[in-house]
Amino acid sequence: MNQLHFPILSFITFWPLLGVFILLFINRKDEAAIRIVTFVFMLVNFLVSTLLYFYFDPTTWQPQFVDKIPWISSLGMNYYLGIDGLSLFLVLLTTFLSVVGQLSTWSAIKDKVKEFNIIFLLLLTGMLGVFESLDAFLFYVFWEFELIPMYLMIGIWGGPHRVFATMKFFLYTFTGSVFMMVAIMATFFLFHHYTGIYTFDMFQLASHPLPYHLQFWLFLAFFLAFAIKVPMFPFHTWLPWAHVEAPTVGSVILAGVLLKMGTYGFLRFNLPMFPNMVHTLGIVVIVLAIIAIFYGAMVAMVQPDWKKLVAYSSVSHLGYAMIGMFALNSQGMEGSIMEMVNHGVSTGALFLMVGILYERRHTRLFSEYGGIAAIMPRYAVLAGIVTLSSLGLPGTNGFISEILCLIGAFKANIWYGILAAAGAVVSAVYLLMMFQKVFYVKTRNVKNLGLKDLNLRETFYMGICVVVILWIGIYPNPLLSRMHVSVEHLLQHVNSHSEQITIKDVDKNLAYGKLVKINAISRGGL
Amino acid sequence: MISYSLLDFRPIIPELVLLFFTFFILFIDFAIPKAKKKINGFIALIGVAVTLVVVLSLYGSNWTGFNNMIIFDKASGFVNIILLLTAFVAILMSLDFIKREGINFGEYYEILLFSLIAMQVFCSTYNLIVMFLAVETLSIAMYILTAIKRDGLRSTEAAMKYFILGSFASSFLILGIALIYGLFGTVDLLRVRELLTGADTLHTWMALVSFVLILVGFGFKIAAFPFHAWTPDVYEGAITPMSAFMSIAPKAASFMALMRLLVVGMFPIQVEWVKLLWIIAVFTMFFGNLVALWQKDLKRLLGYSSIAHAGYMLVGITAANSLGYGAVLFYLFGYIFMNLGAFSVAEYISKKNVEGCLIDDLRGMGYKYPLAGAAMLIFMFSLSGVPPTVGFIGKYYLFSAAVKSHLYWLVILGVMNSAISAYFYLNVIVTMYMKGGAKEEVVSFPSPYLRAAIVIGAVGTIIFGVAPGSVLNVALSSIVF
Repeated sequence: MNQLHFPILSFITFWPLLGVFILLFINRKDEAAIRIVTFVFMLVNFLVSTLLYFYFDPTTWQPQFVDKIPWISSLGMNYYLGIDGLSLFLVLLTTFLSVVGQLSTWSAIKDKVKEFNIIFLLLLTGMLGVFESLDAFLFYVFWEFELIPMYLMIGIWGGPHRVFATMKFFLYTFTGSVFMMVAIMATFFLFHHYTGIYTFDMFQLASHPLPYHLQFWLFLAFFLAFAIKVPMFPFHTWLPWAHVEAPTVGSVILAGVLLKMGTYGFLRFNLPMFPNMVHTLGIVVIVLAIIAIFYGAMVAMVQPDWKKLVAYSSVSHLGYAMIGMFALNSQGMEGSIMEMVNHGVSTGALFLMVGILYERRHTRLFSEYGGIAAIMPRYAVLAGIVTLSSLGLPGTNGFISEILCLIGAFKANIWYGILAAAGAVVSAVYLLMMFQKVFYVKTRNVKNLGLKDLNLRETFYMGICVVVILWIGIYPNPLLSRMHVSVEHLLQHVNSHSEQITIKDVDKNLAYGKLVKINAISRGGL
Repeated sequence: MISYSLLDFRPIIPELVLLFFTFFILFIDFAIPKAKKKINGFIALIGVAVTLVVVLSLYGSNWTGFNNMIIFDKASGFVNIILLLTAFVAILMSLDFIKREGINFGEYYEILLFSLIAMQVFCSTYNLIVMFLAVETLSIAMYILTAIKRDGLRSTEAAMKYFILGSFASSFLILGIALIYGLFGTVDLLRVRELLTGADTLHTWMALVSFVLILVGFGFKIAAFPFHAWTPDVYEGAITPMSAFMSIAPKAASFMALMRLLVVGMFPIQVEWVKLLWIIAVFTMFFGNLVALWQKDLKRLLGYSSIAHAGYMLVGITAANSLGYGAVLFYLFGYIFMNLGAFSVAEYISKKNVEGCLIDDLRGMGYKYPLAGAAMLIFMFSLSGVPPTVGFIGKYYLFSAAVKSHLYWLVILGVMNSAISAYFYLNVIVTMYMKGGAKEEVVSFPSPYLRAAIVIGAVGTIIFGVAPGSVLNVALSSIVF
């Protein structure tokens, strides 16, 4: 279904590539023109993408704004883009953060501006493709493609340990992804074995889940890829490195969008395609998520480096998204999607905050700051709102998502709820400590006294973030109503396949694998 | 009395066309003054292009000739296209390079074309003796081409190693063929298949032994573990265009011959050879990728990487289904662009009369030569199998075929290798873009033909990565045996 009768998703996905093409013809010395052209391209992209919001039909779970043409038709691959309630806001988040992030680079990126903007536009294409693909193969193509620009962004414009950080980031994610590739292949052939259809269509693959003894390994392979991306404890070790070494905008996009690909992947693959395993292994995911909430918060608390603190706070926050998702009720799952969006905006804004001060002082250590509130009042107000939204103060967006996740957790199991709620308290502690150390205590370095407050551009992009934070915090209903039907459909689907599997079934799975192999060989290949 | 008709010559039309050009160079070479030897290169280029057109127009025909000793089917047509494309790009890489290195002899192109003809024959026969003749012809040509830089120390050393090990492997090959003849009284694989189908235990086991012996010979050509030892030395020692040519063309022909041997001749003992190839594939992948992690020389790195890629292609054969065989052909096709491209870039920054090319020499290249840097970036991502490149699509189908045959462990080990390999390919990119200094030391080799080779590589890698459909269909439909 495409209510606009215009391939809007293809347009917003490939529009940045046109920008790349135009940038190639601009002289690299003309940095202002390069920045403005990129900004205009991203702004147009964002404005066009808002059409998705206004024309979205909240009454159906079916994919909308669909673009579908055969790609490698003989092997069942389609170029198939579409969005539903699960992905709509992630697409909008991506286009929004790219505009905000690009504005922040005007003063932050002074070296190789042309290359930077080209890579940023390529990254935008990759990220949008991930959220829009409804063909598993196409999804994988975008999922991997998006690694390349991010890898270069951290590696070229990053901090002193950028090479190590970017290699770790790439290799970690790539390793997880290749297992997902195997799982996609196996799902493809097994689905054909049971239904006689060769397809990569995600909705079709989900419509007939495989027999539950086959879901085990496939679930684990997808789990590995997505858990690394989220990142869930104990696969998070690449994250602090990547965040700390990345340039500010790299961190914004990494936290704001790339981590969401992991959680989104769970929603698109693990939940609908392997529902039995969700019921069986959900407890493991929830336990890991609770560990992540506490672990992330505690490690964040003791960081001397501001950016590292924000990085670990991501580990903690995405724990809520995972708990909400695997609580398997509508409050939890809507909270989970809200958490993805809100974490994108709030943590993105937190990184922008860090970046603004870093540009002025070239350090991120708390021991260098203090008393900034008096020196940069406008900055302090905006930063205060962002910090409060991150810890979930009522009236900000963080509250909505956290409370929904907690309600979901309580409904699923009272202990999940109690533990997750306790984690929320810890997160308040480290975020308030952070704010205090930077803004309130007596200034520790005389250099701080001469700092200039935000200029117009910085006020603008921080202000926009704050507007979004407050808008979602005060009136979240337009968001919730648009995701509701999709969430309900997904839950109904997952809960209708609730038979749990036992160890015996896993054994059967192994035996089945051997049997099939013997059959295949005795049939003699061709 | 063996009689021939004119129809027997149909399957060797491509070979004959190329042979005409080869002899043409051979004769005209005397008339060309030393300063203008480049003309030979252009003739060779035209010859390859004309043959390519001929093959493309003949593609789809199904001919046999000379008492089934030589055939022309879709599969050999496809491999012919791969061979000729490879030779075309390799000649583009050579045109200025051999002049700079002072080895601008007419023989260079003649021998190159002779080896090409041998490869064309190699991939289009079911007859083991013809295979052996072809493999020997191409080997001798390869030995000479490796040693073409006569005064180069590494070049002669590499050729010597290649020659000794190569002859050793050939002796195993001929022993295996002799054994087959002794067992079944024929060297025609189609006939071997019939006789092997109902054979008793002794014949089956002896066939397996002879298969292993033949595999030594073929394994040497495709650089599979444990017959790979020559690869890095030869790739490092030979002049760069030849390393590039050698990394694809002989492999493509050998893979085709191997498939004919396994899928047709050894079909009745498929269960056994699948097990054997499983082991060889895994070791080849791991060996190539793990050793490549420590390499400092770019050409050596590409040598080990080509071992690993042979491993990936063996996965496709191990899958033992038509999807896998087609995937091998498609992979070889894609490998032309990414690997020749990578070698072209190595040549682009090579210095005159300096053998080898350290990865460290690439420092700052990404900024001094942005287009060549971007091309190298594409090649490295393609070799590590990241979309949207042809390397990804190729690898996807190889592994996907193995999944289809339920060889899950093989695929898991394969993709683990893919992840390992990402490290050293990315290391090249790190050196180009992320390590400072030495910017002024990178110098490029200004040859328009070489630039064309790089552009062909980069454009092909992307185009067949984004729109692989048509070539993939042709590759899959080429497998009709």
